Parts: sequence; structure tokens; C-alpha cells
Amino acid sequence: MKRFTDISLKNKIFISILAVILMISAAIAFLARWILVSSLISELELRGIAIARTIAERGSGYVLDRNYPRLLSLIFDEAQLNERKHLVAYIFIVDQENNILSHTFTYPFPAHLRTANRVPPEEGKSVQLLTVGNQAAYDIALPIHEGIYRIGTVHVGLNKSHIDNLVSKLRFTFLGFISLVFFIIFIMSHKLAKYITRPISKLTRLSDELSRGNFDIQLDPGSATGDWDPSACPAYVNTDLPCWHFDDASAAREGAAEPSEHRHTCRPCVFYGKREGDEVGQLADSFRSMVWSIKLYRRRLHESEDKYRSLFDSGPDPIFVVDSSSLKIIDANPRAVELYGYEKHELVGRSFLELEPQNPRTGTASFAIDSDAHGCVFYQKVLHQKKGSKPVFVNLHACHISYRGRPAVIVAATDITEMMEKDAQLIQASKMKSLGEMSAGMAHELNQPLNAIKMGSDFLAMMMENDLEVSKENLQQVVSEMSTQVDRAADIINALRAFGRKADFVMEKVDINKPVRGVFSIVGRQFELENITITMELAKGLPPIMAHDNRLQQVFFNLVTNARDAIMEKNQTGSPRAGGTIRIRTYEADGHVVAEVRDDGAGIPDSVRDKIFDPFFTTKETSQDMGLGLAITYGIVKGYGGDIQVTTRRTEGTTFILSFPVPG
Amino acid sequence: MILRSRGALKIVEMPVERGMRALLYSVMVLCTLAACGRTDQAAAPLESTPGVTDTEIVLGSSLALEGHASYLGTETYRGYMSYIRHINESGGIHGRTIRVIAYDDGYDPPMCLANTQRLIVEDRVFALFSYVGTPTTVKILPMVEEAKIPLLGMFTGAHALREPLIRYIINVRASYYQETEAAIRHLIEDLGIMKIAVFYQYDAFGFDGLTGMELALQEYGLAPVARGSYVRGTLDVEEGLHKIMATGAEAVVMIGTYEPCSKFIKLAIQKGFNPVFYTVSFVGAEELARRLDPSANTTVIMSQVVPPPEGPESRALLGSTVEYLELLKRYFPEDKPNFVGLEGYINARVLVEGLDHAGRELTREGFIDAIESIQHYPLALDMAISFSPTDHQGLDSVYFTRLQYGLFLLIKDWEAIRGSIAQDRDRSDAEGRDGTGEASGAVTPDATVKEQGAP
Repeated sequence: MKRFTDISLKNKIFISILAVILMISAAIAFLARWILVSSLISELELRGIAIARTIAERGSGYVLDRNYPRLLSLIFDEAQLNERKHLVAYIFIVDQENNILSHTFTYPFPAHLRTANRVPPEEGKSVQLLTVGNQAAYDIALPIHEGIYRIGTVHVGLNKSHIDNLVSKLRFTFLGFISLVFFIIFIMSHKLAKYITRPISKLTRLSDELSRGNFDIQLDPGSATGDWDPSACPAYVNTDLPCWHFDDASAAREGAAEPSEHRHTCRPCVFYGKREGDEVGQLADSFRSMVWSIKLYRRRLHESEDKYRSLFDSGPDPIFVVDSSSLKIIDANPRAVELYGYEKHELVGRSFLELEPQNPRTGTASFAIDSDAHGCVFYQKVLHQKKGSKPVFVNLHACHISYRGRPAVIVAATDITEMMEKDAQLIQASKMKSLGEMSAGMAHELNQPLNAIKMGSDFLAMMMENDLEVSKENLQQVVSEMSTQVDRAADIINALRAFGRKADFVMEKVDINKPVRGVFSIVGRQFELENITITMELAKGLPPIMAHDNRLQQVFFNLVTNARDAIMEKNQTGSPRAGGTIRIRTYEADGHVVAEVRDDGAGIPDSVRDKIFDPFFTTKETSQDMGLGLAITYGIVKGYGGDIQVTTRRTEGTTFILSFPVPG
Repeated sequence: MILRSRGALKIVEMPVERGMRALLYSVMVLCTLAACGRTDQAAAPLESTPGVTDTEIVLGSSLALEGHASYLGTETYRGYMSYIRHINESGGIHGRTIRVIAYDDGYDPPMCLANTQRLIVEDRVFALFSYVGTPTTVKILPMVEEAKIPLLGMFTGAHALREPLIRYIINVRASYYQETEAAIRHLIEDLGIMKIAVFYQYDAFGFDGLTGMELALQEYGLAPVARGSYVRGTLDVEEGLHKIMATGAEAVVMIGTYEPCSKFIKLAIQKGFNPVFYTVSFVGAEELARRLDPSANTTVIMSQVVPPPEGPESRALLGSTVEYLELLKRYFPEDKPNFVGLEGYINARVLVEGLDHAGRELTREGFIDAIESIQHYPLALDMAISFSPTDHQGLDSVYFTRLQYGLFLLIKDWEAIRGSIAQDRDRSDAEGRDGTGEASGAVTPDATVKEQGAP
């Protein structure tokens, strides 16, 4: 059965029809033959009986007269009469004792015939199939009666071959007829099958071509629309125009303008060409319409795709598409390739975390994974890694999208590395300026330990010169004092150096108390000279924050310097040497590490309070101060994810509150 | 054979197509072959040639040896037996002697049929030979065909024996059609007689002669003026005679045997009806002559298919068949040479010639082939035997004789007959006017001399 389903439809139809016709014909033939043969045999029997009867009647006289020549003449005539020559094989007559009276054989009488096929006493006839020589014959025996007495029996032998010839003639005729029918049906069903399947095969071939994407194949030119050129369709050429057939189908359904009106302009279109024909033809028409529809859609899609592709490819910023679940990069535009240094094929499939190694939980990754988040998010100053682990700073815009049915995030990155570097340079410049400002104080700070060291060494030198004995305790005291002072000087220089160092890009865990102390060690002495007291209330065991130590130093330096300036300003109006207090506190609150810098200086007037963090804003006379200190401070704090608050009261003082998030 | 690959599908379609066609044709051929049944033919049991032994060839003959046509059968028998005995005494043919089993059928067709069956089935003769009579011979034709036994030489010119050609039937003598055709020609052209009637035996023989005559007359655009007939075996000729006399025919063609024909002639002369009487050869010349009054002034013409055995011209005409006279005298000394016997003798001549040609390996088929191969066997100057696969009649010669002095003598001069006819008519008319009603038998010496021709 599987084999049957494998053969083509054409042959299926063809073979089925043939088989059915053959079977029916054969059945009819057999039936007819059976009927006819049995009728024939009985007819021939009757004929034989008729002949026998004639002979019996005409010959009875001769039998009685023993006129055997006449009897022979009679049966010979009956046997040889024209057409009977072929029918009658023999005739013979026997008497009651089965003696042969007469026969028509031209060779010695076959002995077995004499007693064969006897007619029983009460029967009127007897028919039996006998073999005579090498032939079969139906022997029909009829008694010869004289009145009611039987005087002999006539045997008429009919050639079986006669019947066989008739039968075979019949058979031949039937078979000829069947052959003819077979032949005709063969041709007809062949043609029919072909008629049905040829269009199907053609359509199949067309489909194959279409499935391979070859849409330029020639539509059937035999259609009602003839050779219709696709470029004649306005919707095809300009994809903004709708196609009446499938774009406005819903509008038409709602009872808009009569569809026929619209079709008027598109009459030659394949959609509206309907060939009057049978199912096969209509199939072909439908197929054509489908192909044309696909062509239209594909064109639109192509255009749309081109449009968005060019947007993606030509976008001025690097754009990534990141898969939400696997965080793998699905796509990247050429600008991304440029910026990150990877080839496109290296980017696609790479985990986005390789580019954004820091903040795997708080950065883009967390947004991507968070399937509840909608809309977009903006990340600033994110550190990414180029190829070769080179760092690059970017601002990220990330939005949730559905990309090819999968949830994904489209990430646009703006390269701000240069800006960051400029920022750093600016900070550095400011720092340098701060350093410059501090130089006087530094010098003063350093002088003290140096003086102490000088005094000590002078003392020892003097004692040596004068040959005086220096007591062990005195020597120890002097030496240890000198060592301490050297350490102190070294500390100061270290602090300075640390301060001046350009910060690494990489943040580290910093205990906020350390930069506070660092700054104090730098400026503490100097402030003391100016009668400004720095009191530090630093909490112990604060969790470290992600920052740069020396940048924090810079922050505190700025704040402390501003605090001094504020105190000085306040004291200007009063006693210059009144001095003031700067209180620095650190503590933890609400998951944040907080540092407070409070002074009891002049305070910030309300009018400028909002501007203090603006760059290049200064209350001091220009050329003394660039006005970047607080701006930089603000930037640094914000850069660490922190916040800076100001509370101030005129003539009472100002408090800066810095809070930094605790990582983790 | 059916491949999945789409590309190959088209290629595979072709062999399948061809396969389909081959299937179709073979089915049709098979049907045709199956339909052709064996055409069975009744096959007679094949056996070795019957009637031929190392020393003997047995032939069968059924002829009228008794009854109203016994002369015909008897003379035929004596004619062929004289030659056959001669051959046997000379050593036979290829070392075999010839034996003929002869049965009397009394000119009765059923009898002839029974005799023939006996000869074929019981006596198992090699061939049938020298039958006499049309109805008898025609009756056995089917049997001869079925038994495939040769039948050579029949004392009958029946058309049925010649047309359609049956392989096993070999005629020697010319046919009745030939006889009557020649006779009609002579009657019309040489004797100027137009009103011709026909008197015939009411059986196949008579019909045959009648047809031949009518066909011949048709050529001249004429038809018989009267037809009279008698039943075979009877002498009831009166009715026919009257019918013919009523038309005043100038000549009567008679197709019958000697008894009825002679009675017809005698009655006609008695009634003063004296046309030219013409009979075909079958009538039996001598017997007819014997029954007729030689002095009567009648013109009785007879066509013969063999030359007159006696008479002045005979020697020249007989050629080698003159041997008949000698052999008859030797074996049947009481008998007189006659046309019928001569025919029998000639039959035997042809038979022996055929056996000779057939050779020592004798079969029925071979015998017939041998006969057919006799292209030109001269018996006499203008009497040659010729056969071919399409010609199963040996002789075509027709001779005309006239009854004179109780003898049928060859006609050499038709003009003379014409003259004598005129004379006879005048005399009859005169006598008729005289009222005597008797035909004068006297013949003027002049006329006799003229008719006699050369002494």
C-alpha cells in the first residue's frame, strides 16, 4: 500500500480508472461468456436433436425395408448438408442389438461408439460427450420409433470443436472489445490524469521556486489577466500606497465605498482576474493571486527592513541588542564595533557582562533581567571594557524591547571617555591649584619638623663641639624627637603626594575616615595657626564605600577650605584672629555612609545657595579662584553614587552633608 | 523506482510512462493471442497408405453393371480391365500389380454411396477409379473429400465434378458443357438451325446438359424453344416429346441414356417429327444405334469425347489408343470396340501413367501430385492428356459423329448434312402432305454416297 501512495497522482488516477474498467469488463465478459456458452451448447444440442429427429423419421422406413444404401444416402446428406459439414462429426444408426446399420465414417467404425451413449428405455434422448479419434464430440442419441416400438437409434455426433470455435470466436470478439475499451480508456484516462495533474505539477514547481525565494518566476501567461507587469501596480512601486485587495479589506467590510469602485483602477491586477474554468483553473488563479500577494508583502517588508537597518547601521552611537535572559549580545551596529574594538562576529553571542564587568547586579544587566521593568533607563558614567580590557566610559540608554519574539534590551552607548578624561584633567588642575594654595601652609607645616630636627642636630653638634657629655637620657630624647619629626615630615609629604596623584579610574573600597584624616594631616597645622579648630567625630567600623581615596581627600579638602574661607569672611568684619570651628563627623545611616562638614562661618546667602555647585561660580574675587571646587566636589560625590546636601544660616555657619551608598 | 527527490521525479516519470505503454501493449497482445482459439480441423486418423502393399495396388470402382444403364458400366469396366490386365501381365507398375474391386451400383446414387463407403472403409482401396454417371459420382463427392481418396476417371462430363476444383477428383474426358457448346456451334453455324429444343433426364445429369446448352445458346443470344424431360429410370418420354413437337423445333438436344432417347427418337419419327437429334456422349452410342432403325431418314448426331474406335479414319485418330482394339479382342473377345470402352481404356492409360510418375513410394497425395505433373502426354495426334494443379481434366477434345448404317461415324463434312437435312425436311413435308404419316426410310443413293464420304 505504501508503494501505491508513492506513485504520482497522475498514475494513481490513471491506474485506478484502468483497473476499475478492466475489472468491470472482465466481469461482464465472463458473465456474458458463461451465459452465451451454456446457451450455445443447449442450442447446438437442440440442433443435433433436430437432425437426429429428421433422420429418425425419414429413415425409419429404410430401416424397416433394410434399404441400407438409402439409409446411408439419407444420413450422408444430413451430415454433409452445406454448413453442417463443420457441425456434424458423424451420424450412425444402430438397431436394437447395437449392430451398425449405417454410418458416415470414411474409416473403420470406432468400436466403442457402438455401445456408447445408450438411450434408456423411458428416455426420449441422450446426450453425452465422447471422444472419437482425437476429437471430442457431443453424441446425441435418439431412438427410431415405428409406432411405439423402438427399432433402432440414431446417433448424431456434433463436433465439440464447432462449439469451441464459436466460443473462441466469442472470446476473441470480447477480448477485442475489451482491448479496444482498454485502449480507449487508457488514452482517455491518461489524458484526464494529465489534465488534472499537469497544472498541479506546474504549480508544485512554481511553489518550489517560490520556496527557494525565487520570486521572479513568470506567472502563468495563460491567465485572464494576460502578461500583467507587476510594475503597473501602484502599491508595488510605492509601498506607502495601500493595496485595495488586502489593506482595505476590513474597511470595505464595514460598508465603506463599493469595492467595485476601487477595483476599477486595479482591474487588470492579478487579484481580480478570474478565469471561468474548472477547479484546476481556479486553483491556478488562486495560486497566482497568492504569489502576487506574497510579492507585495515581501516588497513592503523589504523596504521596512531596509529602513530600520539603515537606522541601526548608520546610528551615530553604538547600539547593542542584548538578550534579556542570557545577556548575550544579539546584534551590534557598526559604531559599536568601532568603539569596542571587537569584530561584529566577536560581539554577537558574547555576554554583555564582558563589556560591563562592574555592577553586574546594579547595571544594565539588572535592568535587562528585570522583566517587570518597562520603558527605558539612563545610566551615566558607566565603565565598560573594550577589547583587550581597555576601559571606556559610556552613558547608556537601555530600553526593553521585543526582539524577534524574545525579550531583549536595546542599549545605546555614548562614548564619554574623553569627557571623563577632561573631567579628570580638570580635577587634577584644580587639585594642583589647591596644592598651590596649600604650598604656603605646607611649607609652614614642614618647617616645624625641620626646625625641630635642626634644633636637635644643632644641640648635638654644639655638645660635640664643646666636648660636653650628653647624657643618655638626653641623647635618647633628642634622637627619638628627631625621628618622630622626620616621620611627621614624611607623613606630610606622603599626604601631599597622595593628594597630588591622579586618581585611578578603578574605584576601590575606601573607609571614609581615611581621607578625612589624610586631609587633616595636610591642613591641620595650618588651620591651627589661623585659629581654626578642626574637630573630628569619626565613627568606628564604618562600612567602606567604592571611591577613590585621594579624590575623597580632594572633596574634603575643598569643603574644609571653603569652611575656612567662610570663617575668615565672618571674622573679617569682626576680629580677624577670632578663628572658628570646623567639625567633621562621619556616621552610618540608612544604608549610607554619611560625612558632615560643619563650620561656623559666614554662611551662604540664599541668593547664591542654588548656584554654589555650578561650575565657575565663585564668591571670591576672580583670578584667585576658578570656581570649580564645589562643582568638582559635586561631580565626584555624584560619581560615587552619592549625594551632597547643604544647610546654611547666615552668620551661623554652613553644614555640608555627604552621603555615599554602601555597596552590596 | 519512485524517487523522492523532486528533481529526479520528472526523469522517473518517463520510464514509468514507457512502462505503462509496454504493459498496455503486452496486455493487448496477450488478449489477442488468448482469443485466437485453435482452429481445429477434423483430422482423419493418419495411417500408412491403404490399398498399397509390396506387390499390389488395390483400386475400387462402383459402376452400373446391372440395370438400365448396365451397358455403360460394363463397357467401361471391360475397357479399363483390358489395359490393366495387360499391364499386370507385363510386370505391373514399379513391381506392383493392379487389382480393381468393382461393385455394381445400378446407376443408383445411394447404392453408389454405400459401395464407395464399403470400398473406402472395409476394402481400404488406394484410390477410386472409373465411376459411371453424374448423380452417382456427384453423390459421393463429399465422402471422397472427407476421406481424401483420389477418384480418377468418371464416365460423366458433369460440371459439378469440375467446378469448384476438388483436389481428389481427376477427370479425364471433356465436359458436357464443352460437348454442348461445340454442338450448338455446329448446329447454328454449320447447319443454320436456330430453333433448338432440349430433352433431358430429370436429374443432375440432365440439368447439367440443359445448363450447358442454355449457356451455349446465350452466346448467340438464343434460348431453347422448348424443354422436355423424363424421370430417370423411366421411359415416360411422351410428355416431353409433345411439348417439343408443339414448338416445331428444328433440332433437339437430348441429354439422357440410350433407352429413353431411342424411344423418343422412334416416337418422334412415328409422329412425323424429324428434327436433327443430337445427343451427348453419355447416351451410349452403340446401344442407341442398335435400337434405331438404320433405314430411317433421321439425322442423329452424337458428340464424343474420344475418337471413334472403328471406322476408316480411326487408325489415324486413335493413335496409340488403337491398342484398345487389340486388347479388347484379347481379353474380351466376344465384345465389340465402342466409345464407352475406349473411354474406360483411356482412363486406365491415365491411371497407369500417374502411378508410373508417382514412383515406388506410393501415397495418395503423391499420386495426385504425379497426375498433376503430367503436362503433355500424347495419346494420339490431336489427343494429349494434360493436367496441372488448376486443371484436373485431361482431355478437351470433342468429336462429332453421325449415325449411318447403324454406326456412328465421324462427321467430316457438315455441308453435306445440311443438304441432307433439307432433303429430309422436304420429303417429310411431302409425306405429311401425302398424309401417310410414315417417315420414309428410303435414302437416295446420291445422298448416301455424299454422306459416306471416302470409302
